[in-house]
Amino acid sequence: MVTYIIRRLIGAIAMLIVISMVTFGIFYVVPQWAGATPEALASRYVGRAATPETVHLVAERLGFYDPVVVQYGRFLKGIFVGAEYDYGAGVEQCPAPCFGYSFISGQPVWPDLVDRMPVTFSLALGAALIWVVAGVSVGVISALRRGSLFDRISMGTALAGVSLPIFFTGMISLVVFSYGLGWTPPGGAWTDFTVNPAQWAYNLLLPWITLAFLFAAGYARLTRAGMLETMGEDYIRTARAKGLRENRVVVKHGLRAALTPILTLFGIDFGLLIGGAVLTETTYTLPGLGQYSILAIRNQDLPQVMGVTLVAAGFVVVASLIVDLLYAVVDPRVRLS
Amino acid sequence: MRRKHALAGAATAALALVLSACGGGGGGTPQQPAQSASGGAAQPAFDAALTQVFNPSTKKGGTLKAAHSADWDSLDPGDTYYGYSFNFGRYYWRTLTTYKTGPGPDGNTVVPDLAEGLGEPSADGKTWTYKLRSGLKFEDGSPITAKDVAYAVARSYDKKRFPHGPSYLNELLDWPKDFKSVYDTPDVEYKSAVEATDDTTVVFHLKKPFASMDYIVQMPMTAPVPQAKDTAEKYKEKVVSSGPYKFETNEIGKRFALVRNDQWDAATDPNRPALPDRIEVQLNVNADDLDNQLISGSVQLDIPGTGMQPAALGKVLPDPALKARTDNPTIPRLWYVSVIPDTKPLDNIDCRKAVMWAADRVANQTAFGGPLAGGDIATNVMPPPIVGQEKFDLYTTPENKGDVAKAKEALAACGQPNGFATTMTFRADRPREKALAESMQQALDRVGIKLTLKGFPGSSYFSDYAGNVNYVKQNGVGLATHGWGSDWPDGYGFMQAIVDSRTIRDAGNYNLSVKNPEVDKLIDQASAELDAAARAKLWVDVDKKVMEDASILPVVWAKSLLMRGQGVTNLAYNEGQSMYDYMLLGVQ
Amino acid sequence: MTAPLDVSGSAAEARPESVLAGAGKAIQGRSLTRIAWMRLRRDKVALGGGIVVVLLILVAVFSSPIIAVLGHPPLEFHQDQIDQSTLLPKGVFGGMSGEYLLGVEPVNGRDIFSRIVAGAWVSLLIGFLATLVSVAIGTTLGVIAGYFGGWVDQLIGRLMDVFLAFPLLIFAIALAGVIPDKAFGLEGNGLRIAMLIFIIGFFSWPSIGRIVRGQTLSLREREFVDAAKSLGARHGYILFREVLPNLLAPILVYATLLIPTNILFEAALSFLGVGINPPTPTWGGMLSEAVRFYTLPHFVLFPGLAIFITVLAFNLFGDGLRDAFDPRAH
Repeated sequence: MVTYIIRRLIGAIAMLIVISMVTFGIFYVVPQWAGATPEALASRYVGRAATPETVHLVAERLGFYDPVVVQYGRFLKGIFVGAEYDYGAGVEQCPAPCFGYSFISGQPVWPDLVDRMPVTFSLALGAALIWVVAGVSVGVISALRRGSLFDRISMGTALAGVSLPIFFTGMISLVVFSYGLGWTPPGGAWTDFTVNPAQWAYNLLLPWITLAFLFAAGYARLTRAGMLETMGEDYIRTARAKGLRENRVVVKHGLRAALTPILTLFGIDFGLLIGGAVLTETTYTLPGLGQYSILAIRNQDLPQVMGVTLVAAGFVVVASLIVDLLYAVVDPRVRLS
Repeated sequence: MRRKHALAGAATAALALVLSACGGGGGGTPQQPAQSASGGAAQPAFDAALTQVFNPSTKKGGTLKAAHSADWDSLDPGDTYYGYSFNFGRYYWRTLTTYKTGPGPDGNTVVPDLAEGLGEPSADGKTWTYKLRSGLKFEDGSPITAKDVAYAVARSYDKKRFPHGPSYLNELLDWPKDFKSVYDTPDVEYKSAVEATDDTTVVFHLKKPFASMDYIVQMPMTAPVPQAKDTAEKYKEKVVSSGPYKFETNEIGKRFALVRNDQWDAATDPNRPALPDRIEVQLNVNADDLDNQLISGSVQLDIPGTGMQPAALGKVLPDPALKARTDNPTIPRLWYVSVIPDTKPLDNIDCRKAVMWAADRVANQTAFGGPLAGGDIATNVMPPPIVGQEKFDLYTTPENKGDVAKAKEALAACGQPNGFATTMTFRADRPREKALAESMQQALDRVGIKLTLKGFPGSSYFSDYAGNVNYVKQNGVGLATHGWGSDWPDGYGFMQAIVDSRTIRDAGNYNLSVKNPEVDKLIDQASAELDAAARAKLWVDVDKKVMEDASILPVVWAKSLLMRGQGVTNLAYNEGQSMYDYMLLGVQ
Repeated sequence: MTAPLDVSGSAAEARPESVLAGAGKAIQGRSLTRIAWMRLRRDKVALGGGIVVVLLILVAVFSSPIIAVLGHPPLEFHQDQIDQSTLLPKGVFGGMSGEYLLGVEPVNGRDIFSRIVAGAWVSLLIGFLATLVSVAIGTTLGVIAGYFGGWVDQLIGRLMDVFLAFPLLIFAIALAGVIPDKAFGLEGNGLRIAMLIFIIGFFSWPSIGRIVRGQTLSLREREFVDAAKSLGARHGYILFREVLPNLLAPILVYATLLIPTNILFEAALSFLGVGINPPTPTWGGMLSEAVRFYTLPHFVLFPGLAIFITVLAFNLFGDGLRDAFDPRAH
């Protein structure tokens, strides 16, 4: 078990390094192929009508004259051992993981990321709770009452749910519930949980429901399919034959087996979501990681882009690792090798 | 949206030796802004705050709630270059001079702030001396001395750490060769550039004579910084106030709050009524949401001051009660299309003229927001608020909708009777520029000029794309959307950076298309002209020459539709700031 | 990421598509197809989806005549329909009338109906071709991984993991942002569409790759493959003549279900402003414009509905197709 985890962790780190190299390539190397000079790169980050001297100083400051490999090495070093930052009146320690300093605001990237995590995490957690509960229960009921009106309506709605782009449902929900009826706050509302839990939930209600609607659909369909499959299995028949109550059969035996694929899907979905729900956060202008990544790309703020990409990928990797470990708990047939 | 821009290479014989008329105007007799208000209107009406103070008041107290749809470039007075930042910053900093507060044309003149009077130039115009008032204090109670001002100027020289701020003083002052930065070369004296000869005297030493020093020193580089509390790049997190308010909290990128600075003495400051007790600023607020909050009153001040979003305009303009809360000033800004002569066949002037004739100015104006939110149709380069501006039109077309026949004539003269194909760039994150590009495509299509439209991120538009000489050449960019604003209400301040071909370098250009030796010659002539009126005339000639050259297609002279906040008193549009004068504001 | 785990069955079974697992069991492909077709014909919902899909394709193909009869050229301005000060349509309901069936866009007064019809072409083209790209990459790598196993499988498995962990949207945005203007003999929007097809297809292959790998793994152990091997058939022969034909059904089904995903992906990219260059109409691009004019419900509604109907139709049809090919689901 422990060796397995260690092996997986090493694999995960290797994977993140590959991802970091690709990201670095896209943002640092591709512009150079397109003919960008260090000065051209630096002139993105200066004030208006800056003199050539200013541009030169900034290019030097940001290390654009160094070979790309050296720049990448500096980036890796920052992450693993930290970095030092000379801000003029002194030297600041940027402890590992140091994702560097924004090219534009000069603020360290890591605290910014940490700062935005609660937003994305709150969004993902609340939505996940709704969609898992709603999706799984609708799926179970649909499977048990296969062919009924409930089954047809809920499966139809589920299919509609997966077919709707979030930026459309999000916008409609804002127009109707926020701007029209005034029931929910307008986009951009965010209160930290520790400040006011009720306000926190109220602000996130609309994004939660919209996001959950999108995902619940998939879970309902998956649960229904899984239930239909397992309920036909021999051991279910055996359980019934033993005289177990139907509820118990459904929950203990049917649902448990159907949960395995749900868990996998959930791991991937949740991991991707906490890495930044880009579209949802853009639609509702929530100050989370997704919005941060869009802003970073738009501003070409490379350290921010690197940071948010790696953090996002990291979440996916960790989520999938946790899912794999949970398998062992849920499904006794699974052996970790 | 940046309003202020540098007089790139301000060294500028431009205003040399000429103590311009406006430099001396209004000096010496600062007035209480509330008193300077001529009458004032309590009844909301469209444009009510343009020429007089709206809802005048001297009532102190309350909280002013402000919001910003993006973030500051920096709160550090040495590292900021946004118009709103210059305007708002005066809550927590004081500079040697400042724009005269209040409405009307006087707003374009400068008056003393930290200084007792305007600057005293030496006979050769190369030395400027400012005397500080007495009784000035930082928020910590320590006195503000001339040394703190000189130090602030010297630290702003460090463009490595403060790349955002203007470069005027870097260019103008006589910096020692071995002086790099107050942090990197702390032992090098910078007396040859700026010095404090005693506690109340700041002396600037210029490389060349420069007339309008008083305008330069109203910029925040002269806001005093106590050396002991200077944390270089981190100073923006904790700026030591010299103005009537100081930072209570400052969460960069999110919000900050200003509270009264009890060390500020109103007796030393005739410009700031300092009415609210507290000013709260929210950053990175969704722009549409900000408008809604401004309408409803939960936000009272939209800090960027560039006007409302389209969704809000659709709500405000048809509603007389809401429209009565707005002001619609013309600002010193031109939106235009650069017609780039490096790209064939636009190297031929007749092909450029074909573009001028074919453009549908009304459609372009609509694309840019229409007559209220966008601006008036521009017929030449210099916008009306620029001193000495003249309106003329070399390409008059019926109803301003373009003249297909004349465009075809021009195409024939250019040897492309069936038209040609070229690329037009725009900033993809600016919907108005996209709409403008689409409108140009439609209009030019009428004469067979086919445009391929390409959007690029605004953050690298000038560094990587439209302002990058190699990119433009390799990709055959013929047209590029562009906008330019001035903080300098004269011809030089507005025109030089966008029409002088000698400013062009490899990347990061703002002059994309004007490469005409005759224009350059006229610029030099205007710069050498001593008489202000004759100089203004020469700038009009520059303008005419550029229009003859057909390398700039003007679109609109920008107007902004500003909304007065609910419960805000003492509102007035200030021409120098080209937005509301934030210094005057109070709350009911 | 489940590769190192000894879950009973293949990793593919953990996905909703796992119901396909039975598809390969039918050795006689033709009869399976016939059975599937019979089933599909009975499934009215799926058939309805299929009909809508066909209609959409027809609309996309014949967009020009449709627009010529019912609308105005999609790029043509009608600023006489626009209020000069608010920039909104003058008429009620966003200027909807017999002349402009779905109203006009704010600012420039373009005909929304025409733009939606014209947008169908881009959406479907990208949806189909991007799927083709993912199927090509996914099938090739999936078959290779499943058939050869060992370190090849390990390597491809890792590759899939890396792709699955990528924040796709962020990457796609970044890539779309650095697309050059001329490459591979294409330029302008042609290149842009080609690049979008490639980017979307390139990022969607691992899901289909996993399915194919799982299927191949089980096929590899089947008698007819053993038989071919013992007769001395070469790998190429076995792959193309024995394995691939048995994979066609699941690939077809999965591809049908991937098309709507890819259409949504394109819409999202356009919505975020990194899609096709204007003024070419796309549904996602129209929605992103509509955000600025959210007070105009029709402007938001129609492009959104267009996406919704298209994606739903493909999903219904793909679902029916899957049920039809999978004996166990019925």
